[in-house]
Amino acid sequence: MTNPMPEPTTATVIRKIPGGKLVRMEITHTEPPGRIIQAKITGDFFLHPEETLELLTEVIQAATLPLDPVALQAQLETVLAENNAQAIGFQPADLVSMLEEALA
Amino acid sequence: MNLFRMIPFQKFDAFTNMALDEVIMDGVRSGGTLPTIRFYGWEPSAVSIGIFQGLHNEVNPDMARKAGVDVVRRQTGGGAVYHDTQGEITYSLIAPLAFFPVSVLDSYAVICADIVRSLHILGIEARFAPINDIAVGEHKISGNAQTRRNGVLLQHGTILYQVDVEKMFSLLAVAPEKVSDKLIKSVRSRVTCVRDLADVTLADLSAALEQGFSHGREIRSEAYTQDEHARAARLAAEKYRTDAWNLRR
Repeated sequence: MTNPMPEPTTATVIRKIPGGKLVRMEITHTEPPGRIIQAKITGDFFLHPEETLELLTEVIQAATLPLDPVALQAQLETVLAENNAQAIGFQPADLVSMLEEALA
Repeated sequence: MNLFRMIPFQKFDAFTNMALDEVIMDGVRSGGTLPTIRFYGWEPSAVSIGIFQGLHNEVNPDMARKAGVDVVRRQTGGGAVYHDTQGEITYSLIAPLAFFPVSVLDSYAVICADIVRSLHILGIEARFAPINDIAVGEHKISGNAQTRRNGVLLQHGTILYQVDVEKMFSLLAVAPEKVSDKLIKSVRSRVTCVRDLADVTLADLSAALEQGFSHGREIRSEAYTQDEHARAARLAAEKYRTDAWNLRR
């Protein structure tokens, strides 16, 4: 007889970025953290063009665990650069650090 | 000197206000509409939330419904704003992106200077407070938000005329037990409004804004066209009133 699969866990991290805006990250992951099932980012920040948020969210959702923070930050920065995007009120490093907290 | 159309203060419901901005953006993009500055109010009062916000994280929908307050998602970022029907004037500036600096922060500074100038006309010593606010001393009097689509910039923002913090908290998603007198006083101490600072009417503020935004621009005073009204009514019904838009996050 095998143990049932543990239910996924959803962790919410809310952070007022110093000198920036409020970012709320909800991460649903397998328990123990082995895979991110869903990521959701909301808040009162600005991001131009706005559609870039979906791309950043996809990158976070596809991140492999255990997390490589340096690689993930580089991927997020690439998304911003390739889309000529301006993030105001948060930076990729903030998203990485919030994800680390959500998975801790 | 760039030619702008200026549309004087007029009140609409929240959904029509957001739809008018989008219709005018489309018109400016196609070249059929002059760059436009419009001043407007909200009838009934409304809460607008930023495009990236979760509606249920920000607004108490039951309280809003009971109070007859509309709730709408903007196409711009930023936070939740309570727009009291008597308490503020909102502006939208819609123009080709080429008129403004590429940097979003720099373009906030350029457009917010128009508001600062308008408040100076009323004797209020306001200043731009980056990222996107205008303050008097350390007290916020105006919040602003921007989007850029298809080569067109939209910046809209509110200028507070009078403040009702208790009403605002009754509509926002803050647990009632947390809305203490202390919190209300704390928020009230961080914001200010025109009526606190100058003995002027809402009409005086409106006139000052028209004058402040006219600086350095050639202005043609006009009304909305019938076509804009018709298209905005359709867009309000098909987008801004829908759960698909307002509950998308």
